[in-house]
Amino acid sequence: MESNPNDYHISFFKPTTDSARRNRNMVVQLVLIWAVAIFGFHILLKVIEKPTPEPAWNSYQEVREEIEAGSTDPEVLRQASQSALSVLGKVAIDPGHREALDNMISWSAYNITDSAGRVLLMQKLESFETIAASTDNPISEDYVAAKNELIPLLQGIFGLEMTDVRGKIAAVEVKTSLMQSPGQETIQQANEAIDLYLIHNRSALTDARLLGFPFHYFYTAVFLLILFVGLCWLYCVRTDMFNRKYGIED
Amino acid sequence: MAATGATHLEGSFKVGPAIILITILILFILVGIFFRAKDTTDFYAAGRKISKVGSGMAIASNWMSAASFLGMAALMYGSGYHGLAYVVGWTGGYVLLLILMAGQIRKYGKYTAADFIGDRFYSKGLRAVGAIIAILISISYCVGQFGGIGLMFKWVMGINYGMAVIIGGAVVLTYTLISGMLGVTKNMQIQYIIIIVSFLIPLFILTAKFDYFWLLPQIGYGSVVSDVVAGLPINETKELINSLGHDFAIVPAPEFAMPWDPATGKTFFQWIAIAFSLMIGTAGLPHVIQRFYVVPKARDARWSVVWGLFFICILYWSAPAYAAFGKILSAHPEVGTLAKDAIVVYTAQLGDIHPLIVGFLAAGGVSAAFSTVSGLLVAGSSAFAHDLYVRVINPNASPKKQLLYARLATILMAIIVTLIALKNFALIGQLVAVAFSLAGCTIFPLFLLGIWWSGCNKQGAIAGLITGGLISVIAITYFIAGKSGLQLPAHDFISYWLEAWYFAWIGAPLSILVNIIVSKLTKPTPVEIRKFLIEQVHS
Repeated sequence: MESNPNDYHISFFKPTTDSARRNRNMVVQLVLIWAVAIFGFHILLKVIEKPTPEPAWNSYQEVREEIEAGSTDPEVLRQASQSALSVLGKVAIDPGHREALDNMISWSAYNITDSAGRVLLMQKLESFETIAASTDNPISEDYVAAKNELIPLLQGIFGLEMTDVRGKIAAVEVKTSLMQSPGQETIQQANEAIDLYLIHNRSALTDARLLGFPFHYFYTAVFLLILFVGLCWLYCVRTDMFNRKYGIED
Repeated sequence: MAATGATHLEGSFKVGPAIILITILILFILVGIFFRAKDTTDFYAAGRKISKVGSGMAIASNWMSAASFLGMAALMYGSGYHGLAYVVGWTGGYVLLLILMAGQIRKYGKYTAADFIGDRFYSKGLRAVGAIIAILISISYCVGQFGGIGLMFKWVMGINYGMAVIIGGAVVLTYTLISGMLGVTKNMQIQYIIIIVSFLIPLFILTAKFDYFWLLPQIGYGSVVSDVVAGLPINETKELINSLGHDFAIVPAPEFAMPWDPATGKTFFQWIAIAFSLMIGTAGLPHVIQRFYVVPKARDARWSVVWGLFFICILYWSAPAYAAFGKILSAHPEVGTLAKDAIVVYTAQLGDIHPLIVGFLAAGGVSAAFSTVSGLLVAGSSAFAHDLYVRVINPNASPKKQLLYARLATILMAIIVTLIALKNFALIGQLVAVAFSLAGCTIFPLFLLGIWWSGCNKQGAIAGLITGGLISVIAITYFIAGKSGLQLPAHDFISYWLEAWYFAWIGAPLSILVNIIVSKLTKPTPVEIRKFLIEQVHS
């Protein structure tokens, strides 16, 4: 490095030699690409996102007021229960929310059925609950058989297709102990859960697809990592080139 | 309801996995014996002969810990897209490390991070502080690893978590002491291959079994993510079920992939803060930086980073796939609450993969934790014996005494780590992130400024370190108080803006700023050091 021996100052932003200047420019370029690719993209994601409800949320809105008013109309209860089951099928939900929603669907199941259907439902539910309480093995024959008897019954009650996974979720969420009419507080909690779990931040970047991925997910989980390896590779190749050009020995 | 999938998956003592685990640990030790470097010269000769690809594997094996193997999938399983901040943070930092530091660190030519700090800032006191910080980082990094080891031992042996952490801790300590006695070994590449193979096999099987593109599961799982978002109905033509008999089906769950989803309780700020803190932390971790001292040439240091990052990415491209499969396979409420940090193993179990392959997977997780823990315990104990004891306390200590102190320090550290790990404070990934923020607030600014600005002096370094240290202390105090049920003043505010796994987002820039201001206001760096920087480091 050709510098005045009395000086001996080094600063990244004030290079004194040609090679240091080139290194600085290259580092600045790469850091800029790195920063824009990570933070720029996420700021863009934040700027263009819109809270977007799932169809289940929209469907619940149609009956929300009637549910709050304590409606027992089977159609209303069925529609609300379908939305509640859409939340109950999500993996991680708060236990308080779960209980409120369980109460909502259990009460609905009780009210949707006519008196003959209700006897059958209670009988099947009670026998399933008895078996469930006595085993800790969810693949034991008795347990599975009792559950399988319950599923078609609940599919019918809630108006769900055979291929709709919510029918099978209902079997473990409808409980005889939660069939009392939900109070205002419980309805409030259920509403809160439906708002919390069924509205998401979406945009054109999250809805587009690439190689099967949601685009933004591909970008972050796959592309950014490729970019990082690429940036490192580029740096090494260019540093090797500079070093050869300036005759620098490592 | 008494019947839950979680208890069923946990099960009791598993003979097959236990045998695989023991075999792999013995294999590592045997490889250490057979491929043992005879002396230091042999080691450096081997270092010179080792290919760039080989040293890349060594970097990757050193890097990939329980946090990568178990923790990342856990974070994505629990908080969806939020977890990708960890994936990006733990890889993007290598770009900074490479272009800002790797070559220069090699040219500076010290042995430990504390050596560099003591030398560059011409201060015995700072060397001691550097060593203490390195020890604290090692301890905090190890806590998450012990948690991971505990979870895997719990799964293999069917015992409770506390017992498993104690047994796992004792085994890893013994392993470290044995491999430490073997001297410098060259088994890092073999460790990498075992870790990566055990991680990938179940993914090929899962993608093939559930009808996704299996030739490249790292791309094939993209459709799994989209299926989770859009919901997957019960398949009528094929019986696709998990090991508990539930359909491979899920209600629409966009919260898994949509950014900072309200349902996860995570925000945009947290995403950015975590990614940033982990990236600068990567470039400030003593055990990562120290790797560059041992490569013979600066050029090798640079290229080994490229290969190292590529090999690390193979695991990081794959980990989100476990989270996505885990989401669908555990979607039925009956599966119950699964310990997130074991989700990698549970996913394989729920996918009904052969128990021996699941055992191999668990053994891979333990290996990842073991290789990192032994490296960290060695780094921590050498910081104590070399940087603190010999350089500061007793310069005339005999090598025998030095070795004894190093061993004692290893044992003491393992005990401290076990005690903290028993508390089970947070997820593995989060616990490890604390070490990154700590490194980002303290060591990263010293290296960055120390290398690139000769104007940075001792006073600036001290002031910067105090600033970064203070922020770290506040963040960690609030974290521990929160976990112990204590409410400190402005608890919610501090806990959110200075959460333990991302406080470096502000700590590092502040530390750098204070360092620059104080350096400008005080006596310049001595000319010998400036001369050294110009002639050696930046020549």
